[in-house]
Amino acid sequence: MPARIPTAEEPRRPHPVEILAALCAGSLLTLMLLSNGMMAAHTTPIFASLTAHGVGTAVAVLLLLLFRLRTPPQPRMAASRAPLWAYLGGISGALTVVVSTVVVNSSLALTGTMALGLAGQVVLALVFDATGALGLERRLPRRNDLLALAAIVAGTLLIIFARGGAA
Amino acid sequence: MIWMILLGICSGMLVSLSRQLNGRLALSTSAMQSSFWNHLVGFAVLVPCALIAGSLWPAEAASAHWFAWVGGAIGVVFVASGSWLIPRLGAALTGGLLVAGQMLSSVALDLLRGVEAVLWMQLAGVALILLGVYLSRRG
Repeated sequence: MPARIPTAEEPRRPHPVEILAALCAGSLLTLMLLSNGMMAAHTTPIFASLTAHGVGTAVAVLLLLLFRLRTPPQPRMAASRAPLWAYLGGISGALTVVVSTVVVNSSLALTGTMALGLAGQVVLALVFDATGALGLERRLPRRNDLLALAAIVAGTLLIIFARGGAA
Repeated sequence: MIWMILLGICSGMLVSLSRQLNGRLALSTSAMQSSFWNHLVGFAVLVPCALIAGSLWPAEAASAHWFAWVGGAIGVVFVASGSWLIPRLGAALTGGLLVAGQMLSSVALDLLRGVEAVLWMQLAGVALILLGVYLSRRG
């Protein structure tokens, strides 16, 4: 994994490899939701999330050991130590499951939950980018970034409501 | 109802918040280490939640299909990918492209499984998303 982190202020075009990686990771999300949804339907949403996090922890340990055995230990680059709050991403991740379970079971149903969740995710991401929040680089989106986001959001809403419309 | 709408928006904001925090952690460690901490901390939070909600081991758990168990393994790679991408693309483009991949694959899955949906809306959605991915690459 290359350790190249962009430092330039001006945003650049994404590399095709990065786009491909994101699309593949998004497909993984589909499979993950399918799997977690299967467990949630069979047991409970909380138990499904609990097992997903438990299995995930174990698999992450295995992968980290694997990487460590394969690459000789390198001197840590001089990146500053992470602040303690940076370790708390798992809390909001776990909370996401609880919150969206509540919303899915309201009259908003799955369609409304997905549409609202998309809106919240994109708006906060834009705010984070514009402010450089939580220790990540500040970057003002290029015009084409915004156009791309708008097209992706519009397409996603169509697909979400395509399912809702047939139900 | 208004509270449910706000809660729905919150659930999406939590996704971005989590990705931002994990991305910051990955800057000082690595993408895979941040994914490890994400899952470990999430697990620690969910144990008391599960205890309050009922039990740590519902009776039906033992009979779950094998595929229901692999979500966590997939999630590790997904979270690590997000932590790898966010310093490179920024939060908005990372989120947008992940959603693009998610929607394209979920339409393919719906078509394969014969899930009921309005076909023209699905196809128009796919076209718009592909246009979005193309635009993200344009200078």
